[in-house]
Amino acid sequence: MDWEKLVQIIVNGTTLGSVYALVALGFSMVYGILKLLNFAHGDVLMVGAFIGWGVLGRLGGSLDPTVPVVLLIALMMVASMIGGGFLGVAIERFAYRPLRNAPRIAPLISALGVSFFLQNTVLLLWGADFRSYDTFDLVDPFTGLHVGVLNVWIIRLVVIASAFTMMLGLYALVKKTKLGKAMQATAFDREAAAMMGIDVDKVIVKTFFIGSALAGAAGVLVGLVFGQINHFMGFNYGLKGFTAAVVGGIGSIPGAMFGGLFIGLAEAFAAGYISNTFKDVIVFSILIAVMILRPSGLFGKAAVSKV
Amino acid sequence: MAKLLELKRISKAFGGLQVIDGLDLHVDEGEIVSVIGPNGAGKTTLFNLITGVYRPDGGEILLENRSLVGLPPHQITRLGVARTFQTLRLFLNMTVKENVMAAAYGRTNAGVLRSILRTPGQRREEREINELAEEKLAFFGQRLMGYRWDQPAYSLSYANRRRLEIARATATGARVLLLDEPAAGMNPKETHEITELIAKLRTDGGYTILVIEHDMHVVEGISDRVVALDHGVKIAEGTFDEVATSPRVVEAYLGTKATATK
Amino acid sequence: MTDETQDLPEGPDAAARPRVGVDEWVERVAGGSEAGWQGALRARLERVPLWSKPIAFVLPLGLFPFFTGSDYWMQVGIDTLLFMLLALGLNVAVGWAGLLDLGYIAFYGFGAYGFAFLASGHFGLHWDGQWVIPIVVAATVLLGFLVGLPSRRLVGDYLAIVTLFFLQLFLTILLNADRLSIPFKGQVDFTRGPNGISDVDQLTLFGWRLDSLDDYFYIALAAFALVFVGLAFVNDSRTGRAWRSLREDSLAAELMSMPVNRLKLLAFAFGAGVAGLAGTIFSASQGSVFPANFDVTALITLYAMVILGGFGSLSGVAVGAIVINLALELLRTPEKASWIFFGLLLLTLPFVIRPLGRWLAVAVGTVVFGFVVRALSEQFWERGVEGTTPGLARIDRIVDGWVLVPADPDGLAKVGYLTLVAGVLGLTLLKGWWRTAAFVPVLYLAACVWENVMVGQPAVARYILIGAMLVALMASRPQGLFGTARVEIV
Repeated sequence: MDWEKLVQIIVNGTTLGSVYALVALGFSMVYGILKLLNFAHGDVLMVGAFIGWGVLGRLGGSLDPTVPVVLLIALMMVASMIGGGFLGVAIERFAYRPLRNAPRIAPLISALGVSFFLQNTVLLLWGADFRSYDTFDLVDPFTGLHVGVLNVWIIRLVVIASAFTMMLGLYALVKKTKLGKAMQATAFDREAAAMMGIDVDKVIVKTFFIGSALAGAAGVLVGLVFGQINHFMGFNYGLKGFTAAVVGGIGSIPGAMFGGLFIGLAEAFAAGYISNTFKDVIVFSILIAVMILRPSGLFGKAAVSKV
Repeated sequence: MAKLLELKRISKAFGGLQVIDGLDLHVDEGEIVSVIGPNGAGKTTLFNLITGVYRPDGGEILLENRSLVGLPPHQITRLGVARTFQTLRLFLNMTVKENVMAAAYGRTNAGVLRSILRTPGQRREEREINELAEEKLAFFGQRLMGYRWDQPAYSLSYANRRRLEIARATATGARVLLLDEPAAGMNPKETHEITELIAKLRTDGGYTILVIEHDMHVVEGISDRVVALDHGVKIAEGTFDEVATSPRVVEAYLGTKATATK
Repeated sequence: MTDETQDLPEGPDAAARPRVGVDEWVERVAGGSEAGWQGALRARLERVPLWSKPIAFVLPLGLFPFFTGSDYWMQVGIDTLLFMLLALGLNVAVGWAGLLDLGYIAFYGFGAYGFAFLASGHFGLHWDGQWVIPIVVAATVLLGFLVGLPSRRLVGDYLAIVTLFFLQLFLTILLNADRLSIPFKGQVDFTRGPNGISDVDQLTLFGWRLDSLDDYFYIALAAFALVFVGLAFVNDSRTGRAWRSLREDSLAAELMSMPVNRLKLLAFAFGAGVAGLAGTIFSASQGSVFPANFDVTALITLYAMVILGGFGSLSGVAVGAIVINLALELLRTPEKASWIFFGLLLLTLPFVIRPLGRWLAVAVGTVVFGFVVRALSEQFWERGVEGTTPGLARIDRIVDGWVLVPADPDGLAKVGYLTLVAGVLGLTLLKGWWRTAAFVPVLYLAACVWENVMVGQPAVARYILIGAMLVALMASRPQGLFGTARVEIV
């Protein structure tokens, strides 16, 4: 039994899963409130990754940062969260809001258009080359936790820790604050919420901001852990994030967190023990199985509609 | 008269809520039976159970002694039970005539291949469907005739939409019609027309009809028999007068007299 | 007033029967129609007989090869016809049955690779077209059926994502199945990976070998015409009505005797079959197939065609395919790209800025504004006029003296582009004269950004335009050019 490999896979899976969970949260929140799958969500992650890279470059680059590493990473995260958040708000305002009462297919197509637009804009302005975070220059690959068979690079710990902190923060926001209650109410019944005095538009905007900010942060985390970013990376993370959201139960925040970890670990195990090239096939099969056997996901509530 | 549609000890629960509990109901051929009861009594659920949208937790649903339980809805319709909806579910972007023609699907069988090749059989069948639709629409007088045929359903007035839904249901070839609040939202003149129409459906069309209604004028005007439900249980059955004066029914609608305090 | 109400003769016992009345108001208004020239045009178009539509396509397209000798344009013609075919097929699942299939391109690829498997050097099989095509189409239909199975339980967005995932799967297999380890056989090269299969046979039908582009063009045209007519017949039949009913309200359709699940599968399978057919022709005409031919970009491009043309309308989606394909073609190189860009502006803006007088004012204003800015730049910011535009069309040379062309535009390019996006979005928020006035600088900025940044990479810029078009179209005219506006209960 190769314990070191197993541990490595678990660590990889958890790191990946944390990122997926962040993306899944954004999907879940937006779906809960608007019943809309935000196709462009993955591309917000991509933009966040590029923003982080931009900040990195401005502040001296990985080889010679002008500020302490911790501060640098924090700034990258903040910048990408703000940028991602505002991008999400803009997308909602211009691509989805005019379509609130349009046929269901319209926002979907609009989302595809936005996704296409974002990817190709980045391609146009920054080219097709992979950009690198050069994290090995930033943080020595040997710094980290080394206990027995456990060899975890500190960046992975940072990723996992940041993701968890953000998720806990979000959970607290939804459960304990007035905004959170408003979000829950709007998700449950938009019209009723409006009639109870909740400014539904504002709640939707804030939801998009938070969800997209999380995606932006996830973009930076991806850049830090995997090093390479390019204009097309959003697509895959979007799909996996969506899978995680559905598996966990769309509309449910604990569900998204759990779903993300589940999918991340599943992917890591599939890659490590079955086949790296076909790991996506396996993840896809999990999605299909969940959709058929338990469509409301593992944590979701089955939607009951009046016929 | 033979029992055409029969429900025996039907039960249905959603989560913890028992919506229908041990209900017995039957409709004889050619009868018009009205189902009344306060909101939430389980009336529409009853229709959903009969048409196969939900599966009963227990009990039997028989059409001419043939069990309908477990059959997919489209098959139940083909066997002879068609319905209208409380909240109107027309094919809005299709024309009036197309709405009715579409419902004839179950009684025709020209497949895709024959449609592409436009075989003589398929063309004949199309003509027949066309004539069938016109015939069913003609039932409603002039309201859904002529230029109306090619208008999209969303352009119809509310009352006409209700009529169209009934016409569509008759095109399926069903013998039993389940009408879910056919007079909802209609003004007195329209309500009167609908009452006459339902009677006409029985006399001229030969349909057996089960109606959910709140408007007691309609119920009184058409029913051979009335069944009253409350909280999923039958609380009265009989002629309109018998049921309307039954104390349990009065209590269900109006409540009990408060006990005097001392 | 009309005599229509007297059409049906009264029965002998009319007096005794209840009179089920007449809607007088509607009768009075009965003859009314959409106002103005649009209404008259629409009324004329609707009266056009069914057979004239395929003729309207086939005739001009059939004459096309006589107008061009160039191989390149013949290939463009073939590609366009194949996309028209694909658009018809996609219309079945999405436009009629209302099932959002984002994996549709995979069926195209399956058909293409299927042909390549059976008629190329890859496996050494060189079967004739009259066998290969039916076999591949049948296999694609089966695949469509399988992919459609989830559609019984999934609706809308979920189905969309699952089908998109399927496309991803398909691409993964194509790219990676060149090193499959099969027990007892060792390494098997199934799909030749990213390099594709490059020695696909030419199509041979009953002994006739198609070896010129003209041949493939006519085969594709014939396929298009046949499928068009076939689908038009299906739409007007019981299956077509059932599909459209299922799109309107699937529960009501089921309760009105239509077997919804079976119909969904049929729609998927049908659309897949059409795509498979297109795939075989693609494979044969190109002589090679690559995974990159069937990626997400191709999918979204196809969707753009169908959406622009108008879901639900066969002629509409075909026209959409022609328009988008031609535009994309012209947007391939800097030599022609600017025609499309400025042409697009000139064609669409009059519909956005009405009435015509206001549009002329904006146009003139923009031109003047441009010259003013340019003159100021020459005075105070020389760098702004020192560069040259990468555009190579005649129109580029004309506007070179009008737009700002900074030397070394890199950083400025990004700023300019982002400002333009913000400006366009801002325009949608303004109203009245503010909006009209704001158009002037925004249009000028758009021209500048185009000439400096986008015309140099038209292959990327065109996808930006498509993305923007999709968003704009959904917000303003979701039914596309030729679709009918739908009413939906949300």
